[in-house]
Amino acid sequence: MKNPASLPARILWNAFFWTYERTTWQYDVMVLAILAFVWLTPPDWLNDPMSSGNGPIGWLIGQLR
Amino acid sequence: MTFTGFIGYICMFPLRLIISTCVALRIHPNILTFVGVLINVAAAWALGLGKFVTAGFIMIVANIFDFIDGKVALELDEVSAFGGFWDSVIDRFSDISLFIGLIFLYSQKGRTDYVMVTALAMMFAIMTSYTRARAESLIRKCKVGFMERPERIVLFMIGAFTNRMAGVLWVILILSIVTVADRIIYTYRELRDTQQALA
Repeated sequence: MKNPASLPARILWNAFFWTYERTTWQYDVMVLAILAFVWLTPPDWLNDPMSSGNGPIGWLIGQLR
Repeated sequence: MTFTGFIGYICMFPLRLIISTCVALRIHPNILTFVGVLINVAAAWALGLGKFVTAGFIMIVANIFDFIDGKVALELDEVSAFGGFWDSVIDRFSDISLFIGLIFLYSQKGRTDYVMVTALAMMFAIMTSYTRARAESLIRKCKVGFMERPERIVLFMIGAFTNRMAGVLWVILILSIVTVADRIIYTYRELRDTQQALA
């Protein structure tokens, strides 16, 4: 399938229109991005019914203030 | 070797032992598939009670059965068209049961927002499988999109063990929507190209 020409657009397009196999480096990058979202996003931001707190990002923001 | 490839390599050691045991005992793969769904229902029960860590451990056991049935079928030379059909159908029951466990939990807590997030994630998870199955009745292969069943199951386990189910549900929802869209677009283009080639 044809890709948009510029590099950022191509990266976004390839992430959206996913055709990579498992155990490729692209798959690893996607897995790490998902794990980062799941573990680093403060449960309070998502209004999580089963968990609370600010998580690592909230802690970091607190330290920077 | 990639990071995910290494994890898969490590996990294969205990799985090989379990597969060999099932082959030695000549357990029929369709029975393994069915036992898998029963254990998944138990995992859904634990999710419904909010016992996420227990649910995580039960999911590991259930998905060992899910994973090994195909391999056992190969080694026992019991591969059949019905086996493939049975596996796909039972997998959908397993998927739906886990989502229903969470819907029960969030409705008990009065959290309509997450009841909706879970219900939508369930809908698109089922549509992910349906779009591929339907597409492959029209075109040769439709294996596009990231969020397939193994990814969903691993995410459920991560959410259960680390108590981050809300984040996991959002990821499953968004990436399942994208996967369904990918499959629709891919099938449309493949069919259009075939028609143009014939014209």
